[in-house]
Amino acid sequence: MSARALIHVVDDDASLRESLVDLLRAGGFDAQGYGSTGEFLLESIPDRHGCLLLDVKLPGPSGLELQAALQSRGFTLPIVFLTGHADVPTSVRAMKAGAVDFLEKPVVREKLFEAIENALARDAAARATREVAQRRDARLAALTTREREVFDRIVAGRRNQEIADEYGISLRTVKAYRAQLMDKLGVHTAAELGRLAGGPHDATD
Amino acid sequence: MPTPPAADASASASLKEQLATAAAVTLGAWPGVAARAILAMALCVSSAAVLAAPSRNLLVLYSNSRLLPGIVAVDRGLRDALADHSALPIQLFSEFLDSPQFGGEAHERTIVAYLKSKYSDQPPQALLAVSDAAFVFLVRHRRELFPEAPLLYASVAPSVLREFAASAQDLVGVPVSYDFAGTIEQALRWHPKARRLVIITGTAPRDRGWEARLRREAPPVAGGREIEFWAGLPTATLLQRLAALDDRTVVFTIGYFVDGAGARSNPHEAVARLAKASAAPVYGPLDTFIGTGVVGGRMPSFEAVGRQAGMIVVKLLAGVPPASIERPAPAPTPLHVDWRQVKRFGIDEAAIPADTIVHYREPTFWEQYRLVAIVATAIILLQAGLIGALLLERRRRRTAEVAAQKHRVELAHASRLAVAGELTASIAHEINQPLGAVQISADAADLLLQSDDDRRDDLRRIVTRIRRDSVRASDVIRRLRALLARHEPERLLFDVDVAIREVATLMSAEARRRGVTLDFRSGTSPCNVLGDQTQIQQVLINLALNAMDAAAHLEPDQRVVVITAEEAGGRARVTVRDRGKGIAAEDLPKIFDSFYSTKPHGMGLGLSIARTIVEAHGGRIFAERNTGAGATFTFELPLRAGAKAAAPGTP
Repeated sequence: MSARALIHVVDDDASLRESLVDLLRAGGFDAQGYGSTGEFLLESIPDRHGCLLLDVKLPGPSGLELQAALQSRGFTLPIVFLTGHADVPTSVRAMKAGAVDFLEKPVVREKLFEAIENALARDAAARATREVAQRRDARLAALTTREREVFDRIVAGRRNQEIADEYGISLRTVKAYRAQLMDKLGVHTAAELGRLAGGPHDATD
Repeated sequence: MPTPPAADASASASLKEQLATAAAVTLGAWPGVAARAILAMALCVSSAAVLAAPSRNLLVLYSNSRLLPGIVAVDRGLRDALADHSALPIQLFSEFLDSPQFGGEAHERTIVAYLKSKYSDQPPQALLAVSDAAFVFLVRHRRELFPEAPLLYASVAPSVLREFAASAQDLVGVPVSYDFAGTIEQALRWHPKARRLVIITGTAPRDRGWEARLRREAPPVAGGREIEFWAGLPTATLLQRLAALDDRTVVFTIGYFVDGAGARSNPHEAVARLAKASAAPVYGPLDTFIGTGVVGGRMPSFEAVGRQAGMIVVKLLAGVPPASIERPAPAPTPLHVDWRQVKRFGIDEAAIPADTIVHYREPTFWEQYRLVAIVATAIILLQAGLIGALLLERRRRRTAEVAAQKHRVELAHASRLAVAGELTASIAHEINQPLGAVQISADAADLLLQSDDDRRDDLRRIVTRIRRDSVRASDVIRRLRALLARHEPERLLFDVDVAIREVATLMSAEARRRGVTLDFRSGTSPCNVLGDQTQIQQVLINLALNAMDAAAHLEPDQRVVVITAEEAGGRARVTVRDRGKGIAAEDLPKIFDSFYSTKPHGMGLGLSIARTIVEAHGGRIFAERNTGAGATFTFELPLRAGAKAAAPGTP
């Protein structure tokens, strides 16, 4: 990770908000406070590694709506909810809104940092996946139409002969496309090819 | 006989008795000039009377002065009888011999000439002689004066009548008798301790006559008591002796004309002096003695005598022959008594006969004001009863009021506890919020201290915030304690606006918890009222909680409760408006009643207590249905203009 994580603290209680910001900064994070979800949404949030620390009882847009708004900007942030008392309905609502953790007030420092670290790990993973997908998409975009068709069929598990038959081309031509697209995509084995096609969910490395 | 000294003539009051007692008529010289003048006047008057009415004439001749009370009494009785019983008009002429101041042969001749001349034109149809002297005069002269007129008499002593029995045979009249024996008998009965009877008489011939009569009449009625005659003693000696007496002696006297020293007097005057000096009770037989100090006696009534004489006159002038007119008995002598002397000598009141004529008895308070006293007492008793009942009632009412007041205080307190219960969650949040911030700040400071960097500015800022947050937490607790405290209602000046702002702070967390927007719109000018700030805050909390309850079922954007505080028409007006389902028209009049609730779990006390509180502050509270959705509750409190609010911390 290139830069320090940025934690967005959204709480309408100024004291609590400022305290949290101070604590997070003292803990080595960048932290930014917002008085309401509206205020947060109005800011041009940079696409930076980080997470959201959100009071579950905030008036205005809910956590879910917040996520949707961020999504439209091309990224999401994991949310750690703060709650007065973590009853079941509140927890369910929070999970649906994309919570990674709950912190019951009063906030204990260790638990806060632990939750923040978890959320940041989640964010880092999400960011890695997003990068892989983006790289693959960029490579796939370099393929010709016929190369893409052949790629799709290879990934789908078709044999070369079947592909040749399908398009009425020679087996050798199919092999030539295959070598060509593997070269463009930078892979050397069929297994690698398959992993590439497996999508972002499987890309764990 | 020589003319009596002027001193006699001047004592006109003392002449009263002489109507009855004068025996000897002494005629003196009549001053010629005065006589002629009076004659002329009298003639004029009588001439006019003749012309005026063809009436029967009655000439009344009195022995003494015309102003003597006895004469006045006889005259009154006479005129009353004539007016009541005579069918004819009777002309009444009165003449006076003025005995004993005037008397003697010459005087008598003058009077005869005078009367003859005076009544020559209208002779009387009847003559009435009142008392002894006049009777004797007319018996002697009536043939010469008015031979036709019959002679009647009144108040003449039986002894005199006997003396003139020959010429009085055919006469009718009212005799009068002095009851010596009856008076003495009664006196001794009233003084059972008395061992001695003293009888005082004088030296004049008439006095001697009385003495003789008393020597005859007293012993039979003395009941064996010692009888002592102090006859013909000088007045000075008498007074001295009387002063030395005590109540073991009873004194009887009819007075005297001349005392033992030869000094002239008259019975009334003599009796007055004797009675005044005496230490023993003094009795006498004349009603004119009453008031001089005499205890009493059996006494004839001169007015009754006059009335009896009048009746005879009426019959006579009506033509009834004198012989057929019934001779009346001597005038009755009822018992008279001076109540002051009764008291002085301790006479047994029970021994006083019921028909006694009592003089100088001050009616007792009870006798004089009996009805007034009864009514007044009744009124006072009624009033006392009423006052007592009212006092009792007031005490009971005050006791009840105190009890009711105590109940109100307790109920209000219970209601505040209930409100606090409802607010528990948000209050806990309100306290937890700053406490949580304090803890986090402390953690942050801890971390900063562990680092090697100089973060003094950050630390300073954090400590300031910690301090602020702890104040904030204790503020919430302070407000809560004020709300929960059980205290006697206060009467202090406070700003409604400030009080409501505090409530808004207290309730903002609750509003957030419920997802309700609490829109508080404060007025610009301070609204100072007198009363209990906590109670007024309680009212507002009640109304605000109700409004938030009403908003609970609404869409989030409709969950708004608007609270306003403003001055309106000399009153502080606070409104709480919601957009809930409102109040049904039929519920509107009842919502402030106790135990009336439209909520499923409501006790129905909140609004009732709110009303009690507002009315105790001289204000009013009411609910209205909004034209749009929901209801508006309003309460108004009288403003205390010009006074500065005591509430501190006014922004």
